[in-house]
Amino acid sequence: MKTTYILLFTLFCFFALQAQVDRSIMPTPGAAPEINLGEPETFNLNNGLKVLVVENHKLPRVSIQLSIDNPPILEGDKAGVASLTGSLLGKGSKNIAKDEFNEEIDFLGARLSYSSQGAYAQSLSKYFPRMMELMADAAIYPNFTQEEFDKEKDKILAGLKAEEKVVSAISGRVQRALAYGKNHPYGEFATEKTVNNVTLADVEEFYRDYFVPSNAYLIVIGDVTLDEVKTLTDTFFTSWTKAVPPSFSYSEPKNVPNTQINLVDMPNAVQSEITVQNIVTLKMKDDDFIAALLANQILGGGSDSRLNLNLREDKGFTYGAYTSLGNDKYAPSRFTASAEVRNMVTDSSIVEILKELELINAQPVTEKELKTTKALYAGSFIMALENPQTIARYALNVEKEDLPKDFYKSFLEKLENVSKADVELAAKKYFNVNNARVVVVGKGSEILSSLENIDFHGKKLPVLSYSKTADRIETPDYKASAPEGITVKTVIEKYIKSIGGKAKLEAAKSYAMTAAAEMQGMKLELEMKKTTNNQFMQDVKMMGNSMSKQVLNGDSGYMVAQGQRKDFSEEEVMKIKEESALFPELNYATLEGISLEGMEMVGDKNAYKLKVNDNKLAFYDIETGLKLQEVNITEMQGQQMTSTSNFENYQEVDGILFPFKLIQTVGPQNFEFIVSEIKINDGVSAIDFE
Amino acid sequence: MKHKLLLVTAILFNGLLAFAQEVNFEEYDLNNGLHVILHQDNTAPIISISVLYHVGSKDEDPERTGFAHFFEHLLFEGTENIEKGKWDQIVSSNGGSGNATTDEDRTYYYEVFPSNNLQLGLWLESERMLHPVINQKGVDTQNEVVKEEKRLRVDNSPYGKFIENIKKNLFKNHPYKETVIGKMDHLDAATLEEFIAFQKKFYVPNNAVLVIAGDFKKENARKLISDYFSTIPKGQEISRNFPKEEPILEQINAKTYDPNIQIPATMIAYRTPGLKNRDSQVLDMISTYLSDGPSSKLYKKIVDEQKQALQVGAFPATQEDYGMYIVFALPVGETSLEMLNTEMEEEIEKLRTNLISENDYQKLQNKFENQFVNSNSSVEGIANSLAEYYMLYGDTSLINKEIEVYRSITKEEIKEVANKYLNPNQRLVLEYLPEQNTAN
Repeated sequence: MKTTYILLFTLFCFFALQAQVDRSIMPTPGAAPEINLGEPETFNLNNGLKVLVVENHKLPRVSIQLSIDNPPILEGDKAGVASLTGSLLGKGSKNIAKDEFNEEIDFLGARLSYSSQGAYAQSLSKYFPRMMELMADAAIYPNFTQEEFDKEKDKILAGLKAEEKVVSAISGRVQRALAYGKNHPYGEFATEKTVNNVTLADVEEFYRDYFVPSNAYLIVIGDVTLDEVKTLTDTFFTSWTKAVPPSFSYSEPKNVPNTQINLVDMPNAVQSEITVQNIVTLKMKDDDFIAALLANQILGGGSDSRLNLNLREDKGFTYGAYTSLGNDKYAPSRFTASAEVRNMVTDSSIVEILKELELINAQPVTEKELKTTKALYAGSFIMALENPQTIARYALNVEKEDLPKDFYKSFLEKLENVSKADVELAAKKYFNVNNARVVVVGKGSEILSSLENIDFHGKKLPVLSYSKTADRIETPDYKASAPEGITVKTVIEKYIKSIGGKAKLEAAKSYAMTAAAEMQGMKLELEMKKTTNNQFMQDVKMMGNSMSKQVLNGDSGYMVAQGQRKDFSEEEVMKIKEESALFPELNYATLEGISLEGMEMVGDKNAYKLKVNDNKLAFYDIETGLKLQEVNITEMQGQQMTSTSNFENYQEVDGILFPFKLIQTVGPQNFEFIVSEIKINDGVSAIDFE
Repeated sequence: MKHKLLLVTAILFNGLLAFAQEVNFEEYDLNNGLHVILHQDNTAPIISISVLYHVGSKDEDPERTGFAHFFEHLLFEGTENIEKGKWDQIVSSNGGSGNATTDEDRTYYYEVFPSNNLQLGLWLESERMLHPVINQKGVDTQNEVVKEEKRLRVDNSPYGKFIENIKKNLFKNHPYKETVIGKMDHLDAATLEEFIAFQKKFYVPNNAVLVIAGDFKKENARKLISDYFSTIPKGQEISRNFPKEEPILEQINAKTYDPNIQIPATMIAYRTPGLKNRDSQVLDMISTYLSDGPSSKLYKKIVDEQKQALQVGAFPATQEDYGMYIVFALPVGETSLEMLNTEMEEEIEKLRTNLISENDYQKLQNKFENQFVNSNSSVEGIANSLAEYYMLYGDTSLINKEIEVYRSITKEEIKEVANKYLNPNQRLVLEYLPEQNTAN
């Protein structure tokens, strides 16, 4: 009976409580959760290796991280030696051959990788002793061989070559080189030349000098005991010879006296990469470190930050605009604000970025911004604690950055205490709008004139040009008007003369060409035939199968794509006819509307620019007269597409010069066709156009 | 593109390789049929609040495909107490993060917060279940967003159409023949009433499981769950009776073109049993054996040694009623797709005729154990696994027991299952070719 009453009573309470929930009110957070920051156990080996152990028995797994905290290293004319050393480490050891080494790690279901300044392993805890042994073995007794060295060097060289056309890669290295100077470890970069200077002996020397235990930390996290780690490190890491790496001092990088634009021209760029940067001196142990983090977050740390809201959400200039604020205990670091934007809006984007920088310098952030940003930081700080790596990372930072012992324990408290005034001071100190470099990597010919007209504090921003290797160069004159006496006619005549002369060209009645391109290991074959009777055939094959074929025979023609045939419309016939002329330039003299648009650079050559019609531009070398490039604009499914053809390696066939290398660029795709054969008045029959 | 395929693989693997170490949990039902699972782990001050609805693309009207995925978007549009557009802001300004995912069988919504926001998370999810705002404006907005998503993920994405082509060839009757994203003209044609009816039918407590995982006090959690969820009205019982598939007895050949690729691919797919069938786990092992890691059979032979392929992969797509097992390869140079098919079949044939070696068997066990251990490293991951084991597998405790299933699989069983499902006459061979834009 009594129990029933209690039950009823509880039920009553239950309903009563339930009625109290007011859904229209958003619940407020409870008391901030208590942070339980574990502390790692630490001990040192005699050779200087410091060991941190975070025991965490929740899951039967372990991670082992070796991290060598060396001061910055200048690689000089052997830049690339560090990364080569990193990629040669872990290819087995003096005791275990490479294949055997890899097979064993795979068998254990584990991972193990190396870099020039460390290593990382992850495995089940039952294989922990063996993983420690393998990691130490390959780290202390590396197996550097000429064969692997050559392989890795080739990979680095191929990577550098591929990078040459990548706007973001060029931008990254130029930003650093300009900020620090090329003789600073943070400003130097590897080139084909410096990588070729590196020998196997250099790698061995680099390893001996810098892969040493005096600044090294071994961090073991997971289902292990301190004793076990002690025994294993003693057994496997004691033989690592004690040594101190050489240390040098470097010149202090400085900000520029006045804000300026540093332009790097990349003719292939479809977007400009803009980075507004200045040097900052910020260390984690500085009192304003957290205020600086908040200022950066509010300005451009995330998708809800001011910069992105302005450039992306409001203006639609970019997919994303962000800032980052570095910190470094060894050297000054950088503040950057960056965005990749359409060519057309490069200047407007710079104006907006500078405007946001000025605004956060001039006015305090709002209460709401500060509150939301603090909540975001607190949330991610708390949630990161789920991962045991976080505890190790924090402990390592306390050691390496010389932080107060309770830096992380009191992090949330310090975060909460940051005021609007603190954020304002940090913004003023670290976001330097008056001494900034605005590094722009983009298509000079399309953006230069607008960059030269950016107004900043009533003055034009100076535009200084740099090469892709960060050397100061003269700003190219992209849009020079053609000198007196040069006309469409003279350009065309010079071209016709340069490739063989009118008589020779007019004697050519048919043309047959075969070429091939290599595309990520796939072979693309191109066959093209033309006659002066409006006959045209083009067949593109991939791996021997025809992918697309176009045929024109007089006033009719068709196209076959993926086995589907479609006849050309009248309009298409007209268009193909124009294309099918053996030498379209022979007809230019009679065509209306062709105009000389001045001079522009094509690669490193100066060229006359002819506008053939609204959809076609052609460029002719001012020196040799040869055609260097054509740009065609086509409409496809309502979208404008630009395709660029570059002509190189002119060779003679029957007294006429033809380009034997055709580089076709459509969007991000790039086909490099190498011509294998060209026949004039031969190799073409009526059957080809049926 | 390589990256993309790996991503697809990772996504498909995600729902499947969810094991657990020793995950403690308790479960109970509310009066309205809502199933609740609590997993308490106070080691870090973080909490995950999630709801899995047993509704996916297979539950759609064949003339209205894409609904379940559409609801993944629509149910972020706001509720009677949450203004349109405020959902994400509420989550992030309280230090949290969240998202949702949809597949053929279920839709999953979740938030992760510092643990002092349990109540907020429960409020959000109960608002979503009780009275989401579904109006024409929201439908119109999300219609555009979903179309953008389809452009990004399917139309403009290299190899983005492979799953659609495999499904439509492997399934003739069962709704698995349709894609999760669905047909855009179906979404365009759908009326507001149809959306509302879909919500009323499937997004109800008796078709859902609520999982709270992480740092909380049980008493408090139970009370808050009751406060926010017990008044949500129960929905109609849902009966499911999907058409069955006839067995595949003859090889199916198919071809498709993709304008976003340069390199063709060959894809071989088999129809396999639903996820409750033990054979489905055996196929996971076969998949790992064939293509996981640089020393796996297919990779080592076709990519590493013979240099015929840029990439090979195999993955099981595990689903409630039927699964799919897909093997694919991208050729190098002039290697033909046929040659790759022959090479791949050669390895599968070995599985059908011989037992795998003891060394390989041990390696498989090590790999599965490693995956199992790592799959339960976050409370959010655990919550997702718990919800799926309950709702799709019908046994929450599999979170701790599934590794035993893998451990009990023998070499003989691997051979047997390969013989049962992976014969040439049971497969689809899909040629996935570049579509050349007409040159100009």
